[in-house]
Amino acid sequence: MSVATKVASSAGDLWQRARQSRRAWLGAACATALILLSLLFVPLDGRPRADWLQFLGRFHPLLVHLPIGLIVLLPVLETLGIRHPSLREAAGLVLKFAFAACLVAILFGLLLAYGSGESGTTVTLHLRGGVLLAIELLFCVAVRRSWLQTQHSPAYFALLAGLLLTLTWTAHQGGSLTHGSNYLTHYMPPTLKRYVAPSAVSSHPSSFFAKHIYPVLDTKCVSCHGTNKEQGGLRLDSYESLMAGGKDGIVIAPRNPDGSLLLKKVTLPPSDPHFMPAEGRPPLTPDEIARIRAWVLAGASPEAGSVPGIFIAGDREEAPPPVGDYRALMGEIQQMQQSQGAKLVPVSAKPSDGLILRTTDVAATFDDSQLAKFQRFAPFIVEAELGRTAITDESIATLAQFKNLRALHLEGTLVTGRTLGKLSSLSQLSYLNLSATKVTSGEVAPLKSMPNLRHLYLFNSPAEPASADNGIRSTQ
Amino acid sequence: MKQHPLCSDCEDKITPMDLPIPSGLKKEWATCESRRQFLGRTGKVLGWAALAGLFGEASLNYRALASGPNLQAGSGINNLGLPHFAPKAKRAIYLFMSGAPPQIDLFDYKPNLAAQFNNDMPASVRGNQQLTGMTAGQARFPIAPAHWPFKQYGQTGTWISDLLPYTARMVDDLTFIKSTNTDAINHEPAIMLMNTGNMNAGKPCLGAWLAYGLGSMNDNLPTFVVLQTKTNPKENNQPVSSRLWSSGFLSSEFAGVGLRSVGDPVLYLQDPAGVDRQTRRKMLDAVEEINRQTLAEVGDPETNSRIAQYEMAYRMQSSVPELTDLSKEPESTWDLYGPEAKEPGTFAYNCLLARRMAERGVRFTQIYKRGWDVHDNVVGNLPVLCGETDRGSYALVTDLKRRGLLDDTLVIWAGEFGRTVYSQGGLSQENYGRDHHPRCFTVWMAGAGVRPGVTYGETDEYSYNVVKDPVHVRDFNATILHCLGIDHNKFAYKFQGLDQKLTSPVPAFVVQGILT
Repeated sequence: MSVATKVASSAGDLWQRARQSRRAWLGAACATALILLSLLFVPLDGRPRADWLQFLGRFHPLLVHLPIGLIVLLPVLETLGIRHPSLREAAGLVLKFAFAACLVAILFGLLLAYGSGESGTTVTLHLRGGVLLAIELLFCVAVRRSWLQTQHSPAYFALLAGLLLTLTWTAHQGGSLTHGSNYLTHYMPPTLKRYVAPSAVSSHPSSFFAKHIYPVLDTKCVSCHGTNKEQGGLRLDSYESLMAGGKDGIVIAPRNPDGSLLLKKVTLPPSDPHFMPAEGRPPLTPDEIARIRAWVLAGASPEAGSVPGIFIAGDREEAPPPVGDYRALMGEIQQMQQSQGAKLVPVSAKPSDGLILRTTDVAATFDDSQLAKFQRFAPFIVEAELGRTAITDESIATLAQFKNLRALHLEGTLVTGRTLGKLSSLSQLSYLNLSATKVTSGEVAPLKSMPNLRHLYLFNSPAEPASADNGIRSTQ
Repeated sequence: MKQHPLCSDCEDKITPMDLPIPSGLKKEWATCESRRQFLGRTGKVLGWAALAGLFGEASLNYRALASGPNLQAGSGINNLGLPHFAPKAKRAIYLFMSGAPPQIDLFDYKPNLAAQFNNDMPASVRGNQQLTGMTAGQARFPIAPAHWPFKQYGQTGTWISDLLPYTARMVDDLTFIKSTNTDAINHEPAIMLMNTGNMNAGKPCLGAWLAYGLGSMNDNLPTFVVLQTKTNPKENNQPVSSRLWSSGFLSSEFAGVGLRSVGDPVLYLQDPAGVDRQTRRKMLDAVEEINRQTLAEVGDPETNSRIAQYEMAYRMQSSVPELTDLSKEPESTWDLYGPEAKEPGTFAYNCLLARRMAERGVRFTQIYKRGWDVHDNVVGNLPVLCGETDRGSYALVTDLKRRGLLDDTLVIWAGEFGRTVYSQGGLSQENYGRDHHPRCFTVWMAGAGVRPGVTYGETDEYSYNVVKDPVHVRDFNATILHCLGIDHNKFAYKFQGLDQKLTSPVPAFVVQGILT
């Protein structure tokens, strides 16, 4: 007989006995369970109510810890009770207290949610969790008596385990309500973070907004302006809702920090009734305010990767992936360095930083065939200084095989845009200089889809944009 | 006192080596050494061998490193283990404002001072600081607010004086440090400290350290070039000497090569009339042969430097005229740098040269502009000084940026110290003077390795003391080295029993807050 059926049959057995022995009591229990069940579907309309409801409701976070403590204590007492019968006696009392405390906590929780007009999925989930917990406790009470008579039946322990799981889940929902949904994961080491479902904050995960604005909102604002609650009709849990504003109109005015309601509210004196975050929640730090201000001043873009004037520690550019070790070829590289001609120069003392192909001294005579000779070093070359060399479009195919290339200087060469598309395979390329070449803007367009290409220079070429930003084009 | 070799009452015996005879004969003589020479040299050799044994292998390595990475022809094989890590900047351009620009009139905006015009500066601000002899005797220290209004510029809203309309356009590209401070209050020690990390002469300067540590990026131009701006006789020009670009105890091939501001950039670089390239080459080959013999005989590494310098000069015969030939510069260059840039020796011209050198693989270029020492007549002098430098600096940064060079070039703008908030001499509504002030001054950087648009450090309301994030000259130099991939603590050269560093033995810290 499998364990599951054993559990089921013994549970049914116990249930039978309980019904037989305590019919009246059970009736009351069932009624309570029904009422509780109905609570599962109680609607919260999101309208704030009279003050005294809220006043009482705010004792919920205090009271809620009493049943938590008792529920955690329960399996401990039952387990230890195997050896020490006196503890088992105590467990019965603890269980009843736990049930009573749970009901009280739910009541105060309802007062809080109803009084403050909280509504939202997390509130509902938290409420349901609490109710489920009470029902489970009720079942425990019902089952326990007969369980005491028939020792070692697993059904009661299964119930206890379920109780703990429900408790954990419900407590987590409650924690998310008060501390924000990213409270646990915010400082989680990146290695662990990968296993947590990533929050789809924005379509530009490396943007300044996603990295430095959203986390501030998420920690400090979203608990009242998000899925849980929508105070003032304002949600701050996505870029779109942030820009859409709330009942009082828009809260972010791009390029106008002084006209942005959000910045006004967080910079009021904390004693002001309109100060945000309200209700004594931790205020924004000066650093966070400065960050938002600079972002708004710079245009409040959802895409911009950086904001001028704002430095954030730890926001260094990610180190590019290491290249292989070229030291086996060192003899050849040194020979090259000592002779006239193009040279391979280590980027740094660390071989994994790769090599630079330097042609400064022989640029005028460095042509396609010479570049082809460097093909065997291709995996190690991270930067190719080919400015003002004699290479032509033919070399583009060669260069497309330099898979680790991060910077490519082609300024002042005979390269045209004809074959430039082949460079799209260089996934690491972040710098491409096509100044003083014959490329046109149409030919450059396909390059813009390259994921890492951040610096594309087209100065003095037909593709040079006519804007006032001195020919700097950034694809990000 | 050296005597004429043919003088009859010579104290020392005349040897054939001193006589004007064919070198073949001398060589022959040198091979048949006398017993005295033999014994004398044997003694020395034994002594040196014993000493070398005592020191162990370390001393041998040290000698081998003395000439730096350049000893091996071509660049890049770096037995110093440099760069320590992947550098953000390959090269640097240092705009040195000699004489100390007044931070308070240019960058360090103090709006509250206007109301305190001619008030005495509170004694508590100065504390127990010893002033220079020029103002220590002043009866009072009247506050002189900046004569020019400031405005906010760029997306960062950085405050810049009306004196610098061009710099104002690029504030979002610049990194300002307002809390730089130094130990010296007079020009010579301060400018030495800024450039060499030590107030005393004899230490290598930043450029020499870079040339020694990182080596050259090209074969045809020097690794480290110094450009001097023509002086304006109306300005108070403090002397700028070659001590500032000296290689100190490093091999002299790492010293800065100065290009002249007037006439030929390098004197005697052209072949004399009637000497063609082949003749010159033959001559140089012969000189090199002789120098190699000397090196073999004496073993002085300076001989090596001399060989390298002859070769460099030969290559510079063609590379320098190409460098200074601006006829192929497009019209957009002149639109950017202004017509002044066509006149050799102006600051704008030097900035343009610096950009051309960056393109040609010069590792470090330092441009000196003198005349910032405005002890009096600030109102008269400062507009002239700013007019001379403002557009050039802007043009350089902008030009590097549009050509894609700012991604691996670090541009630095700095003087040796700041100037006082109080007026030196009489203060009137129309004019004032400012004395030396080491406790705070503003510098800026731009380009590879530093975060654009950041203003780092703060001064008090008198722009007198640093109140937040002080950056000592040592920290500043450590940060520059960091941008070029060098850990300043590991970059040392043993000399006089000390691991000598650019950042001196006192601990220095890289300014993390401005790095990318």
